[in-house]
Amino acid sequence: MRMNVLPVPAARWRAACEDAAAEGARLRCLYAVEGERGPELRALLGLADEERLLTASLAGAPVDSVLEVFPAADWDEREAHDLYGVRFAGRDPLRALVAHPPQPERWMTPVHGHGTHQVAVGPIHAGVIESGHFRFHVVGERILRLDLRLFYKHRGLQRAAEGRALEDGLAFAQRACAACAVATSVAYVQAAEAVLGLVPNAALRRARTLLCELERLYNHLNDLSAICAGIGFAPGAMAFAALKERAQRLNARLSGHRFLFDTVAIAASPPQLDERPSPADRDEVRALRAAAAAGWRELLFAASVQDRLGGVGVLTADDAVALGAVGPVARAAGVRRDARADGDPRLWYGGLQPAQPVTASGDVAARAEMRAVELEQTCDILEDLLARPPERPDTRPAGRPQPIGIGRVESPRGETVCVIEATGGTLRRLHLRTGSYANWPVLAHVVPGNLLPDFPLINKSFELCYACADR
Amino acid sequence: MFVLLHRLQRLRRDLGLPAPARTGSLALRHVDAGSCNGCEHELTATASPVYDLQRFGLNVVASPRHADVLLVTGAVTARMAEPLLAAYEAMPEPRLVAALGDCALGCGVLADPGELAAPLEEIVTVDLRIPGCPPTPAQIADALTGALDLLRPRASRPRRRRQ
Repeated sequence: MRMNVLPVPAARWRAACEDAAAEGARLRCLYAVEGERGPELRALLGLADEERLLTASLAGAPVDSVLEVFPAADWDEREAHDLYGVRFAGRDPLRALVAHPPQPERWMTPVHGHGTHQVAVGPIHAGVIESGHFRFHVVGERILRLDLRLFYKHRGLQRAAEGRALEDGLAFAQRACAACAVATSVAYVQAAEAVLGLVPNAALRRARTLLCELERLYNHLNDLSAICAGIGFAPGAMAFAALKERAQRLNARLSGHRFLFDTVAIAASPPQLDERPSPADRDEVRALRAAAAAGWRELLFAASVQDRLGGVGVLTADDAVALGAVGPVARAAGVRRDARADGDPRLWYGGLQPAQPVTASGDVAARAEMRAVELEQTCDILEDLLARPPERPDTRPAGRPQPIGIGRVESPRGETVCVIEATGGTLRRLHLRTGSYANWPVLAHVVPGNLLPDFPLINKSFELCYACADR
Repeated sequence: MFVLLHRLQRLRRDLGLPAPARTGSLALRHVDAGSCNGCEHELTATASPVYDLQRFGLNVVASPRHADVLLVTGAVTARMAEPLLAAYEAMPEPRLVAALGDCALGCGVLADPGELAAPLEEIVTVDLRIPGCPPTPAQIADALTGALDLLRPRASRPRRRRQ
């Protein structure tokens, strides 16, 4: 994939984005950087044969919003405003996202009318759930509008990583989120290796792919458990929770950690994985696949489960494309988009086709089915990789070091993008846009029109992390 | 559904979890003060059939008003300090605070210091420490069952607020 850094004058920012959109570009991320003369703006756009990074120096002046060109840029622009003070023309009001102003009108949509009222949930939730606030505007039980107020857990990880050596910055990317630790770490090292002018050899690509799929295995089992819990179907929730535990124990056996922490490094792979995985590990993957398939079949025949899943929280394919939905959420809506399939050669997914449900109805049922279908695919990959003899993971130099590197990995929740800007081995800017970050605004879009008691179920079918959105 | 229930029954038999040695109960309220989601995953896992913390009388309750123990995960971010304190103030006495995981204990926290409020121990008195990144469900289960006795011979703990 060719990387093309394209500086544009601030006045042509929107026009340059429109040009790229006309060529079929997809927004990967938009972020701001502290420049010498005020904030600078970047937009990473994915084209068929090129990753185009638009850069603009703003010199303190407002820049045209590109929300109409790329609706997926909604949160990115609000974050650039709140964290870097970038002013966007054509967005009024620009509601607060990362900042938490006390005045409701500065972060909430005004909703008026006969019988409308608000339901406030969080930041502390009733179960064992991460912190974040949901404000529902409802009439009776029908949701009119959902305002998300996340970033309660904003730890400033990206800014904290700035000024550190490339290898020290990895910990900040990894700890953004435990459940996506491998995906964010691999995206980070891909970006760092691009900066250093290195490419991984086949053995290293396979080792990282194995880790990514182990992560997907326990996460998808967790999601199926969570969807059952969202309905209150305890037998399913418990059955899949027990399978998730087995998957995490497999992680611990193969890598030494239940969440696969510290298994990814720049130009290296974990020592544990260099040893021969035992046939017992492959048998465990096979047994997990059979048990998950049997559990899924039971869910299909449980009428009280099926009654709740269909037609709830529907995302149309058009909206999924426009809003930049990623991962199982997008695929359940019929958008065959998967970062594993569209050709990044730095992992080992040759020939993988994005999975799809029987009917891509975009509802909770389709999102649940996506997990079951993708589990099969993941087990296929794992069995293949665990059967291979050990090789020596390595990297080789390829081309000159670059000032900017990008990494792109399909996390269990969707495409995770990492951009690194560095000078002489020192991080100048780290930007992470995880699958959860891309899908949170999609969730807020899907919910209106549904009943309030169905929200936990819709939320669980997305199963997004707060931590990797808040960072 | 009955197939699932049957399998769960068999799993329970195979696991052969020992009968609880202690009696009593604790109501737990969890507050994520800025974690990476790892501690939440492991805390949730303690309710799975493999650990089944409920057999010890340990239950997660929805409101701090019904809780004996406040389980805090993560380094306390500036935005979570107030909700955390509100949850603590809502708890009836006697009450315990458990720091779950290394971040809550202030070990090896990765963050921009400007985004954090203060270490948990400076905000509330911590009675129970559960180290680990994240602690495994077995470690969490051990620590919490060990706390079953802590609230028994009772003298009300003094409230402590941030200076």
